[in-house]
Amino acid sequence: MAAAAAEATTDGGGKMIILISADGKRFEVTEAVASQSQLISNMIEDDCTENGVRLPNVDGDILTMVVDYCNMHAGDAAAAGDTMKASSTEEELKKFDAELVQALENPVLFKLILAANFLNIKSLLDMTCQRVADMMSGKTPEQMRETFSIENDFTPEEEAAIRQENAWAFDD
Amino acid sequence: MSFCDPRQISLEVPAASSESMAEGAPIIYLDPATVAEARRRGDDPRKLEECTKYLMTHIYGLLPGPPVPIAAARTHAACAAAASDGVDRISALPDAILRNIVSRLPVKDAARTAALSRRWRPLWRSTPLVLVDAHLFPRGRSFGVSASAPTRADTPGIVAAVSRILAAHPGPFRCVHLLCGFMGSYQAQLEHWLRFLAAKGVDDLILVNRPWPFEAALPAAILRISTLTRLYIGMWKFPDIAGLPTNTAFPNLRELGIYAVAMEKEGREVEFIVARSPVLETLNIQGGNTQVLRLRLEHRSLRCVQICSCCVENLAVVDAPCLERLVLYDSLSKDDSCVRVKIVHAPRLRLLGNLETGFHMLEIHDTFVSAGIRSSPSALFTSVKILGLNVNFGVRHDAQMLPNFLKCFPNAESLHVVCAKCSEATSLVSPNFWDDAGPIESIVSHVNVLTFREFKGEANAISFLKYFVQNAQMVKNVAVVLANPQFTSYSIDTLWTAKILKSVRWASKISSMQVYRSDDSEGGLIWSFQRGSDYSIRDPFVY
Repeated sequence: MAAAAAEATTDGGGKMIILISADGKRFEVTEAVASQSQLISNMIEDDCTENGVRLPNVDGDILTMVVDYCNMHAGDAAAAGDTMKASSTEEELKKFDAELVQALENPVLFKLILAANFLNIKSLLDMTCQRVADMMSGKTPEQMRETFSIENDFTPEEEAAIRQENAWAFDD
Repeated sequence: MSFCDPRQISLEVPAASSESMAEGAPIIYLDPATVAEARRRGDDPRKLEECTKYLMTHIYGLLPGPPVPIAAARTHAACAAAASDGVDRISALPDAILRNIVSRLPVKDAARTAALSRRWRPLWRSTPLVLVDAHLFPRGRSFGVSASAPTRADTPGIVAAVSRILAAHPGPFRCVHLLCGFMGSYQAQLEHWLRFLAAKGVDDLILVNRPWPFEAALPAAILRISTLTRLYIGMWKFPDIAGLPTNTAFPNLRELGIYAVAMEKEGREVEFIVARSPVLETLNIQGGNTQVLRLRLEHRSLRCVQICSCCVENLAVVDAPCLERLVLYDSLSKDDSCVRVKIVHAPRLRLLGNLETGFHMLEIHDTFVSAGIRSSPSALFTSVKILGLNVNFGVRHDAQMLPNFLKCFPNAESLHVVCAKCSEATSLVSPNFWDDAGPIESIVSHVNVLTFREFKGEANAISFLKYFVQNAQMVKNVAVVLANPQFTSYSIDTLWTAKILKSVRWASKISSMQVYRSDDSEGGLIWSFQRGSDYSIRDPFVY
């Protein structure tokens, strides 16, 4: 731990890691930034990031967003010791997150969820899932289906039975 | 036990809120029997209604929030545009992600997803249940004490829906927050729910009754829910602990909150749960009636104990090796008698507040701290860095006790003094009193932050403040928060123009002083349990 911390302070962020997207785009990030991904953090621990980390199911444009997010949030742990600093960056972070999430539209949102899931970045996964929940909340099943182009494959009898089963959920 | 007397509710209704006591306002909390009883005795039932409303507001404010916000959905419902390309991407997500999404929905919306398609059909039932009863109301209604809050007439609907949900969902239940029901006459259903919760497993349970009756019985079945990690109960009568099975245990319980719960055994009920919760970290107790508590704490993992608005007659921290924070806030004393606070073994205690110099009799290890007794090494509490004290500067004895208390905590770095409500005529300590009390190590060498809340310009408080700045070599920040002008004529201008602090030589060259004006109700800030147990906030007392 102590050695890693010393390294991080001497060259301003520690060792660099190359992330390679499905379409071959390369992103150079510090270990501190990359290890917010539990997947990559485990790879760093196992010393298998030497030749770059290939992410065959994350596209370059999505990885750009992920790297931006991780760069923004890499300060979290470092600033935690200093309460004043943490509270100012916390506000910036909230703003950044809110803007990121608000801007997400249907195809990109789901790609980002899958990337966050694959890379195992819990905070990003929670945030994007919350965005989807906000889009569903307060809607009837018809409105939910319309929002996400979900096909109703029930027969009318089946659907009626399901509604009957949990009638309390459909009473307003 | 009858609780038809408003005086039994110890929280005083602040002046501002009693003004809102409109003649024609509907009675929400009192049941007809209580109204009739009050009238028969010649009391105004509205007074009791206001007390109850105030207490409920207070309790709701002290509870942890729900995992899914109440009524937040409305703002979002309209904003999401339909998918432009007509491709269903959401249904292609793995089950775990869809469950993550479903768990973030209010319970009705969550259950409705089962009607979307075959893909979605099993998801709600396989997602650990999040049930917040406030979500059962039409959107736009609030669960608290506002005009749109639930009334007695809403309870049958809530009870029916909760019963159906708990039966329909196979469990486990991640979170069940039930705060909207007037459960006094639904004992059988309540018992039934608790059995479901015990059988299917619940992590996070908040169960708060809406009065009246003021002390509805909480079924003992609650003590059989062994899966709990967090439990808050409010406005109940605690079940009888005699005759419970000896294997009652809460092996995962980390956080326990008991708010305005009547306890016949004067706190043995709390000890009962604490002793059976081996990983408990946080214990929050909020009073609400004049009930007396005696508590003896002996626990290996407790980190934070907060007891507010309680009449604790005797508190003994016998052995708490992990205890970091002990907060006694707004302590009450029955018939002005002393309250014994005994701390035997709490080597990691960093934060201790708010001791009342007037009636807390502090006993550290085996030494009493009282006026005129020099501090002895055995009565030193060297681990405490953050110290909160309530001092009634208008009473000479209370002011005189202050140095004795301070001397017990030689390493205190943050000192937070609240000037207690002054009911007696000011009697002065002699001008040299503070100097004569001998050097106070913490003030001379360690205190770097002083806050002085509810400052009303009492002569003894001013002389202490003078003494403090003349002696505190390490202080960087002094914040004086004047009491709300509704309750004191003392003003910022008086403090400055009196040159109280400019005429003296400050011991510290690097200190600054800010003067604020409080808009808190009389008696000052209401303690936040959530803030007090949030370890990312180093000093929850700081202004």
